[in-house]
Amino acid sequence: MKFLSNKYFLIALRIIVGGIFIYASLDKLLNQEMFSKAIYNYKFLPGIFINFFAITIPYIELIAGIFLISGIFKRGSSLIISILLILFIVALVQAYARGLDINCACFELKKELENADQKSDILLRIIEDFLLLAASVIIFIKSKTIITKEIHQ
Amino acid sequence: MKRKLSTELLIILIVSIALGFTVNMLSPNGIALVRDDSERFLIDSSKTGSDNNQNQRGKLNKAGFYQPVNIPGEAAKKFFDEGVIFVDGREPHEFQLGHIKGARNIDYKNFKEKSKEEKLEILKDIKKDQIIVSYCGSDSCEISIDNAYEMAKAGFDNIKIYLGGYKEWKQSGYPVED
Repeated sequence: MKFLSNKYFLIALRIIVGGIFIYASLDKLLNQEMFSKAIYNYKFLPGIFINFFAITIPYIELIAGIFLISGIFKRGSSLIISILLILFIVALVQAYARGLDINCACFELKKELENADQKSDILLRIIEDFLLLAASVIIFIKSKTIITKEIHQ
Repeated sequence: MKRKLSTELLIILIVSIALGFTVNMLSPNGIALVRDDSERFLIDSSKTGSDNNQNQRGKLNKAGFYQPVNIPGEAAKKFFDEGVIFVDGREPHEFQLGHIKGARNIDYKNFKEKSKEEKLEILKDIKKDQIIVSYCGSDSCEISIDNAYEMAKAGFDNIKIYLGGYKEWKQSGYPVED
């Protein structure tokens, strides 16, 4: 697994993860009302916190993404991105388990068969988030090792 | 130089949160700090209880459209008897399994993606001040509310929401069709 410590591999990972986070933040920044509604649809957070997250999460994604790509705060930004991804995964998994139809902004608990397409969409997003989480955790761990090595030298 | 992880985290979070709240405050599209869904399920009997004001429109809100009003089952039945248009927001396959007699299927999922002009084209035979009752499967689905707001934003100013939906309607023994 030596390639995981390869400098260029880590730079590529940072650009991919940071780029995806910057891209994902833009749509939410421009449509905050819709993002607030989307969070509401997950039925995951108490009402009073929904807009706090709708206002701040897109900027946390944007800033962490920029820092990760630029390499300024690699450990801090990769840790924040990992925490966000864990939150997204938990929200998606509970929506999947409860059969919430999160895309159509309705919450009808449908029969599993009728909901097969929606469910596979959510499943795909859970897998994507797990891959991003793995990449982000690798960046976090390897950045730490590199810093430690630099200090010892 | 070794930088503490906690310092990095704090800087990222403080910059993001400060930026988020500043932009939200300055932006014309900014949202309220606390989301208010308190009226979403509220059935206001002053607007629906007596015959005199049952037909009354909702209030004109800041966004420039008349707020849809939630109505109970009896009021929905009264509108039905008067020949008011009922709009079912569910998907066509759900609609075909059973719906309020004479209701029109306007699939919310599809409808919300349309432009204002396209929405008006779909509803072109309905006058802007005519009453429309929006409903969906039951009180556990919220398409009735979301669809009502889509129609209200398109300019229809007397939208009612029947929260009980098809399930309650059918249980009450009111007219349905497949």
